[in-house]
Amino acid sequence: MNKIPVLIDEKKLEVDPHRTILEVCREHDIEILTMCHLKGIADIGSCRLCLVEVEGINKLMSACTTKVTANMVISTATERIKKYQRITTELFFAERNHVCAVCVSNGSCELQELGYKTGVDNIRYPHLFPQCNVDTSHPWYVMDHNRCIMCTRCVRVCNEVEGAHNWDIKNRGHQVRIISDFDTPWGASTTCTSCGKCLHACPTGAIWPKAIVQGQLVKNPGMITELVEKRKMRL
Amino acid sequence: MKSDTAVPVKDAPKTDPRLKLIAARIKKENYKPDALIEILHTAQGAYGYLPIEVLTYIAKALHLPPSRVFSTVTFYHFFSLKSKGEHTCIVCTGTACYVKGAQAILNKLEQQFALKPGQVTKDNKLGVQVARCIGACGLAPAVVIDNDVQGKVNVEEIIQSINEKTGIL
Ligand code: SF4
Ligand code: SF4
Ligand code: FES
Ligand code: FES
Repeated sequence: MNKIPVLIDEKKLEVDPHRTILEVCREHDIEILTMCHLKGIADIGSCRLCLVEVEGINKLMSACTTKVTANMVISTATERIKKYQRITTELFFAERNHVCAVCVSNGSCELQELGYKTGVDNIRYPHLFPQCNVDTSHPWYVMDHNRCIMCTRCVRVCNEVEGAHNWDIKNRGHQVRIISDFDTPWGASTTCTSCGKCLHACPTGAIWPKAIVQGQLVKNPGMITELVEKRKMRL
Repeated sequence: MKSDTAVPVKDAPKTDPRLKLIAARIKKENYKPDALIEILHTAQGAYGYLPIEVLTYIAKALHLPPSRVFSTVTFYHFFSLKSKGEHTCIVCTGTACYVKGAQAILNKLEQQFALKPGQVTKDNKLGVQVARCIGACGLAPAVVIDNDVQGKVNVEEIIQSINEKTGIL
């Protein structure tokens, strides 16, 4: 395949066409913050964390869903982008009830890490403090909607990789929630195979296994990526 | 999406004319999952809302995950998952029933309970709704009280039936 030239953060690169800006950046160790992206499942460009500036285009583009084109000039770390990354991160925290100190994921949470990276030390937006359910009905796993950031990685991994499609989304706006089957308890699901993939795909402490103590959870989203790759290779 | 795996759902309901109506619509749409919204319209038209059993039936017939169906239902304001009121009286206002006096039934209900279609009593005991054809045209005028489809009804019977079920008067 013919390579095409692009300029990212003033670095000249020769890259494969048909790749997303995110893929290219990751290959060249240029950091892009992401949340809804998980390598191996479809990108939906919903969290808006991976925004980059592309010369000639006024609006910011999501790196995970935008393909590189020849001579594209991309900036990934301008003040404008940093500003939005921080706003987005603060909104994640303001939308639900995140109390890291008592979370199973404390120390191994993509949201917490994002907070550190974007330098969030206070939240400038009013917390919504929504009433959220904690579904403990599954024999092995817990779904705590207080900690969900609606990245829908669980929905996609369950549908695309496991093929079970237990999860989906209900409602709109601030009322959106992840649901199992007909918004029925997870433990009563007729579709879930209890494979645990959603747990590993989930970037926060929203989905966790019962057999774990607070702050001890280590998730392995890379396992999903590997699984997808292995499945492609399988003869 | 073309659905070639679709098989007629075995436990297709034999009795409730409203479910037959939905079954017919699903068949007409060739069991295509993309026809979900149209089918939900038909279902809500017949029931006045979307009971979970009906959604379960539709999900199975279209081979769609339950959560996908639920997601679609809750995305649109038009769809409703709850009947209004503990008890409901749904008056069919489809053509056949209209011709056979649906309006007179609605008038009487309004007079008796001070309820227009879509309203519920203050204590939430009774709600009155209208439905487009519920698939029982041969029995027009048809009324559904709670889950009980009643055909060839007259106004007095309806009032009596509501009283029996709700103890409202
Ligand atoms: S455990 Fe597996 S099948 Fe069950 S919801 Fe999670 S990903 Fe889907
Ligand atoms: S439960 Fe986890 S993976 Fe699913 S949407 Fe919420 S944060 Fe994302
Ligand atoms: S990672 Fe690109 S929009 Fe979420
Ligand atoms: S018009 Fe009322 S049942 Fe068909």
